[in-house]
Amino acid sequence: MGINQSLKNKFRRLLMWAALLLIVLLIFLSIYGAFVGAERAKSFFNLLPLTVYWVVLVVALVAGLGVFGRLVRAPGLLLIHLGVIVVLLGGMAGSERGHELQRRFFGIDKVQAGSMVISEGESENLITSEKDGARWRLPFSIRLKDFRIEYYKPDYLRVQMRSGEGWKIPVEAGVEYSLGADIGELRIVRAFENFKITIEGDKRIAVDDRRPGINPAVQVEIRHPDGSITSEYVFERFPSQPRPEDKFLLTYRRIISDYISDLEVIEDGRVVAEKSIEVNKPLHFGGYHFYQYFYDTEAGQYTELSVTSDTGLRFVYAGYVMLCAGVIWHLWLREILAKRKRQRTERKNGN
Amino acid sequence: MEIKYTLQGLLIYIAIAGYLSAFITTTAGLRRTGRVLYFFGFMTSCFSYGYRWYDAGHVPLQNLFEVFLCLGMIYPFSLFCRRVLGVGGLSSDMFLGAVVLFPAGFIFNAEPQHLPPALQSRLFVPHVAVYVLSYIFMAKASFQAIMQLSGGEYKTEEGLLGPEEATYRMIRAGFVLLTLGLILGSWWGKLAWGDYWGWDPKELWSLASWLIYVGYFHFRYMFGKKHARINSIWVIVGMAVIIITLLWVNLSRLFGGLHSYAT
Repeated sequence: MGINQSLKNKFRRLLMWAALLLIVLLIFLSIYGAFVGAERAKSFFNLLPLTVYWVVLVVALVAGLGVFGRLVRAPGLLLIHLGVIVVLLGGMAGSERGHELQRRFFGIDKVQAGSMVISEGESENLITSEKDGARWRLPFSIRLKDFRIEYYKPDYLRVQMRSGEGWKIPVEAGVEYSLGADIGELRIVRAFENFKITIEGDKRIAVDDRRPGINPAVQVEIRHPDGSITSEYVFERFPSQPRPEDKFLLTYRRIISDYISDLEVIEDGRVVAEKSIEVNKPLHFGGYHFYQYFYDTEAGQYTELSVTSDTGLRFVYAGYVMLCAGVIWHLWLREILAKRKRQRTERKNGN
Repeated sequence: MEIKYTLQGLLIYIAIAGYLSAFITTTAGLRRTGRVLYFFGFMTSCFSYGYRWYDAGHVPLQNLFEVFLCLGMIYPFSLFCRRVLGVGGLSSDMFLGAVVLFPAGFIFNAEPQHLPPALQSRLFVPHVAVYVLSYIFMAKASFQAIMQLSGGEYKTEEGLLGPEEATYRMIRAGFVLLTLGLILGSWWGKLAWGDYWGWDPKELWSLASWLIYVGYFHFRYMFGKKHARINSIWVIVGMAVIIITLLWVNLSRLFGGLHSYAT
């Protein structure tokens, strides 16, 4: 009994040192990962030696629960340690290697992460894998009904003076703004979503083309101090370069407030789900999340969705809940309740 | 470094002056005057934050300027620590208030910006707010740890904890928020970017800081107060890593990543 207890104590001490070593190692690995950038860090943390590290960490946590009675008796500590184990297991299941193992042993054939490009009015079920560019077919299709970009209103024309001063003028037809006595007044004439020039006879006419295309511009007039008026166009995508004689520079940039793709999920020829996805509002269907990722910057005619498998996600979220509940209970609530109990007892004894 | 000739700038400078004069008068032994000035600095700081909120049109926690402006409202936190947690250091809090407002007043760009699509999330405010609060706890814990490390005999006011115990209590309070911040960020990352863990430099630095406090708890569990100085070193290193997470990751070109809009 005595020898067993002594061995157990030695094992406990060894395990605590191992835990500390694993924590310190992960601190250094995290800092290394921060220096190499996200992509290389992701590859690095998925290397075989690091996979071994994650497994050892899980084993150490499980062993800790086995030999430290306090970890099981104290609900907060139990939740914290179990939570970390569940998060790690969820992470392993959702990793590239986890998907490979599930494919090999359970026949679950899912792509871990990829992307799909869909044109407006078209449907698509082809995913390009992020890992190796391989093509995967989903058992359902996604149709892009519409893609649109929303901007903050009003847009602003920025005036930058050579002296360093600068202003923002709201782009609303008819707005006038004084640029100082030596320059004159600026007036917003018209804003274009898709600026094009058409030629009628021998005249060149600026029009807002309703066909697909993105070429935002603002027409402004400048009334000079001598009474003369000049007109010019300020393009968002083609900013003008300042010339030595220019006293000021005009730039036009709209601020995007949202990207929206209206999607339909089609299975066996019928629409089974619909959602307008935005940043922060993905579509979840068939074991995958679909995210607004990129779009056709030239004409706004297609969208690119990033697709990620949801394998292991429920475990990760369950682990998060356990971890949060554990730290709140163990570090906050337990002490608050104990303090109240103490105060009640003291009051009772005092009475 | 530039002076802000705006109402926003003026409010920040008045708050800094309030905090600094509170610190000086308290250190000189005029405690009552110091507290009045501290409260004045706090009220000005609140006005400054409220004005920014009105000006920006959203909760001002978008970038470093706004985060440091928020950190400047430290007074209620001081009272909470003193009255509820039994942790002193009122004069150091006054100085801390001035220190955190300094970059907001003289370094960071204050031009209000629209929220980019990724930040238009219900998780934006809770994620940043719990981190901001946890950083204040950890900063105060590091101050206590430095007190402990610098040795000597300290006169602890009646009812207040000594530096080692005070450090531990602050870490206990702050670690919960640090954990919530990490998890809320991870959840938000899943909704916005498609992955709950993107191996982004800011994520990895914040994981490193979280792990340092995990290490602190394990070390303190193993040795208690036997190696109190090493306990304190864990805490100070944790704070150094927090500073890197908060500032260096956003200001240095070394760490490009998904959190670059916070610059």
